[in-house]
Amino acid sequence: MYRILLLSVCPVRNRALHVYIREACLRSSKCDIVSLPICRATNGGVFNAFGTSSVIHCEKKEGPLPPKEENSALKDGEQKVAVKMVGEKVIELQDYVKMVAEQSEQRVGVKMEGVTESVKIEEIPVKMDSEKMEEIQTKTALLPIPEVKLEDVKESEEMKEIMLASKTEEVKQKLEVTMAVVKEGETIVEIQVKTEEVVDVKKEGDKVVEEQMLEVNKEEQQTEAPPKDEIQPVKSGKESLLDLLGAMKVEVTNKRKFKALKVQRTSETAARPMPAAMESTTSMFQEATGMADVPAPAPSETLSPELVAAVSAAAATLPSQSQAESELLKKLRQHEAIGEAQKNGDVNNIGVIIADMKVGKKPNGRQNARPANQIRFDEDGRGYTHDRGITAELDGGLRRRRSLFSGKRLNIFTPSTEPEADTDIAVPTLWDMELANQVALSTNQMPRNGFEEMIQWTKEGRLWQYPINNEAGLEAEAQVPFHEHVFLEKHLEEGFPRQGPVRHFMELVVSGLAKNPYYTIQQKREHIAWFRDYFQQKEEVLKEAEVYLN
Amino acid sequence: MHNHHFQDPTAPHYMFQDDPYLTPRTSAEFKLYSLSQESGRMAANHIVNKNPKFFQKDFAEPHIPCLMPETMELCIEEVSEAALLERIMLRKVKAAVDMYDQLLQAGTTVSPDASNDLLDLICLYGDRDPVQDDKPEAEDVAQEVQEEGRRRKGRLRRASDLVRIVWRENNNAERIFNLLPERDTRAYSALIRGMVKYGAHVKAFNTYTDMLNNRLTADVHTFNALISAAPEVRERYTEKWDLIVDLLNQMNEQKVKPNLLTFNALLKALRRCGSLARAQSLHTLSEMKAMGIAPSLASFDHVLGIFYKAASPSQGQTDILQEVMTEVAGRTFVAQDPDDVNFFSSAMRICLDTKDIEAAYKVHDLLRVGENWRMLGDSFQQSIYYGRMFNLLCMMEHIDVVLKWYKELIPSLYYPNPQGMRDLLQALDTDNRLDMIPQIWKDIRRMGHDNKSDLVDELLSLMARDKHSPEIQESFAVCALDVKSLYEQGQGARMALEWTATAMTNITSVLLAAQKKQQAWDMLKLFKTKNRVPSEELMEEFLASIKSSNDPQHAMELVQISASFCLPSTPKLAERVLQAFELSEEQKTILSELEVSTEVSE
Repeated sequence: MYRILLLSVCPVRNRALHVYIREACLRSSKCDIVSLPICRATNGGVFNAFGTSSVIHCEKKEGPLPPKEENSALKDGEQKVAVKMVGEKVIELQDYVKMVAEQSEQRVGVKMEGVTESVKIEEIPVKMDSEKMEEIQTKTALLPIPEVKLEDVKESEEMKEIMLASKTEEVKQKLEVTMAVVKEGETIVEIQVKTEEVVDVKKEGDKVVEEQMLEVNKEEQQTEAPPKDEIQPVKSGKESLLDLLGAMKVEVTNKRKFKALKVQRTSETAARPMPAAMESTTSMFQEATGMADVPAPAPSETLSPELVAAVSAAAATLPSQSQAESELLKKLRQHEAIGEAQKNGDVNNIGVIIADMKVGKKPNGRQNARPANQIRFDEDGRGYTHDRGITAELDGGLRRRRSLFSGKRLNIFTPSTEPEADTDIAVPTLWDMELANQVALSTNQMPRNGFEEMIQWTKEGRLWQYPINNEAGLEAEAQVPFHEHVFLEKHLEEGFPRQGPVRHFMELVVSGLAKNPYYTIQQKREHIAWFRDYFQQKEEVLKEAEVYLN
Repeated sequence: MHNHHFQDPTAPHYMFQDDPYLTPRTSAEFKLYSLSQESGRMAANHIVNKNPKFFQKDFAEPHIPCLMPETMELCIEEVSEAALLERIMLRKVKAAVDMYDQLLQAGTTVSPDASNDLLDLICLYGDRDPVQDDKPEAEDVAQEVQEEGRRRKGRLRRASDLVRIVWRENNNAERIFNLLPERDTRAYSALIRGMVKYGAHVKAFNTYTDMLNNRLTADVHTFNALISAAPEVRERYTEKWDLIVDLLNQMNEQKVKPNLLTFNALLKALRRCGSLARAQSLHTLSEMKAMGIAPSLASFDHVLGIFYKAASPSQGQTDILQEVMTEVAGRTFVAQDPDDVNFFSSAMRICLDTKDIEAAYKVHDLLRVGENWRMLGDSFQQSIYYGRMFNLLCMMEHIDVVLKWYKELIPSLYYPNPQGMRDLLQALDTDNRLDMIPQIWKDIRRMGHDNKSDLVDELLSLMARDKHSPEIQESFAVCALDVKSLYEQGQGARMALEWTATAMTNITSVLLAAQKKQQAWDMLKLFKTKNRVPSEELMEEFLASIKSSNDPQHAMELVQISASFCLPSTPKLAERVLQAFELSEEQKTILSELEVSTEVSE
């Protein structure tokens, strides 16, 4: 039995993973990485299925568990363990989801979505393949909270009675009916939750049976008529379910906890479509397990008159008839609405839910959780960085910066668009020279080959500049036009006699200078000036000799 | 062409090519020879400048200024402003200060430019004459070469240089500053920069406040200096950062445009701002981009330094290096900041710390772009860079790749230290290429690491550890004999290696494995003379070898030697010899005696 249970759980999980991965692919490639830990979680979960200790360990690992988990953790029996295992895996999945989506203010909400989503994932293959009762039973354990929330105290009293009935011998006689009740997931959960004061309800057996009938009717009304062959697995699982119910221990639940949860959830439901999704999973489950015993009659308002009649009949058995009736009808309408919503939207649900999930990054936190970081200094003295595991890659992918420059800036300076007027183009100070010297020294490399050495020498001026220019080094002379060099007679205008041998001599000097390529113009002028001085000094002598004619 | 010039990995550096005798083989020789070249140049320059009258003939046409002696003696003797300017130009701090004082005493007014130049000079050199080891009159060029030479000697010297000069209370700079009739921005700037440079950080900030009180605005250099001094005057990280932001805001208010050095000083200061630095450094980079200032290698170096603190426990931001590398990849950099040269060695350090071989290749590729190799720094930084790179290669790469790099880097660019060679040996061991060992041993000898006993020991133990094919064993034996000869002849000039028992054991077992019985036998005798004791495993190996050649005489000897070492395994050895060999009666009696005697002695 247990084995069948577990074996059947595995394919369900795998199919669920397929669905999940397919959905994840739609979102982005990064989600593939998310699915890896889930696979791992699945495997680990299956391996640990028989070990209660590991289950408990898993639970401890969890932070705030949904109350259902606490309940089921207390149950005896391997079935419960297995049921719990699925729950654990869901929570593991949820944990990984949480790892990705860790924005602290949204933590609760994300977790809820995670639960919803994973529950749904498990439901889909169940419905498609019409799996066995055990699996269905398994799933039912996962749907506690929304129903609990919606009950009021009155109803929960009734449910207590149901619970009692399921434990008594009378119920066994009407197996079909009981099964139908049992198969409704919420009922089981409600039974588990609301059995605080069992003792005083034991006597009301008949009423209980009626209530159960009513429950069955309710379910039939809401849901589509399932194929007949589904009844077969249901029946085969009857015995075990009865045992299971019998093995259930009555446990005390703290009502205040539920109230607190209710408050928390109502605040969230305003913003999210999530509770609806959770409800719909419930009804989807019901859809799968519903029986075709009772035909669905015409509606009154939205509900069929027969149903209404059944409700009033049931309510008549209760002390406060009208109140009970209205409560039951309200409840039924609710279910009906949800069933409609489910019919319309169940295909897209996972997509919607996943789309609703917020994938965020947690600012720091995780960094310190990497164990490899602690081994920073090892014997080779340089230390290892953490090996890039899955989570690290995930982190890296999420926190990757676009570029070095794309971040915020200091916002202190305002870039001026107009070109700066270089006011201090003046003489470089000693500081500037020192800085230039430092920079030059720091990059001063010895030449690596002959070419570089020659480049360096050329810069120093030891080699000819290329292209070869035979006037290199005569840059100052290049400014002087050629006639300055060639026509030097104008320098003879002053200080020399107009005619005579001196004049003649000086003309020869000038023509010689005009052909001299080596003297600069300045040197030529100086040359002529020297003669001028000389002849002026010798003026007396020359006049005596009558060769100095002015 | 010079960039694509084929680099011969077997050739020494170009600067050694004119004399094959001076081809360096070790890093010590490299340092010595390159420094000797430098110092030769420096000496020649010094002689020329010292005796300019002998070098007046200008035979070059056109004139080559750098070949001519430069005037370095003071020419102007009388007290005048020209004399002051000359002393400033020749960077003679004390003489300039004296001249200034004489001018003031004579009642002449010094022009503001000249007094500012003087103040610059004093602040730049911290009121000391520029340090010149043995030649107080060495002129500019020689001094540069000297400084370069000093740098090449390594870090310690430089650090001590910085420590030596401090800003003294009421030094000449402050005195002359107070004597100035009117203090303008430039005078304040010089004073502040000098104070920051020589460690008077608080005083620099006080001077800055004084300057603001006099309704003056600072220039960009002042702000750069103050920013770099900011971490010194505050204790807590947030206070440091607040002070820096405050300075930047004042810059903006005073309409001072920041330059690259401003941001580099900012990033450098951020390195000392702890946890704040990461976010702010990225903001700073964005600010630089917004201002249109391209970061230099020093900026990236500071960013890397901020993100990869040594010994920081979490290296979460490993992608910063990748981002920096994608940013700089393929770009050519020109030195703009003296810190630019630290980039490559520190980037390689990060690659080594994070064991990121891909990033290391990227860094090395960047080095090959254009003139970037000039930014590698002096030979000290170069050897650090290549050492880290080689270490990383040995650790992460397949041995074939390591050997490719080994061939490319080793003789021409990098002289590995003993640790580097040991890394290489370990890489060989990891990839089962121990057959390379004899070749590596040649290199070790060439690089002068053959006197490092731990390296030699490791080499020998690697050779002795496993069994190999006969050819390899043969080459190992040659190598082992080489090592042995090194031990024997080492008594000369170099430090001789001390025989250790493990080294001898390893050599002997290598020889045995190569079937070199005679040499192995010699080694066994050497144990005796060097007072070392062979291990029992070695005796077993010996026995096996003798057994294979079936030589009872040697077996006898072996047992006797073993007995003489008082090895506890002697009786067992004797027993096995008795069983395994055909012995004469006489030999048998000796052996059984040995067997008994050692047992008794025990």
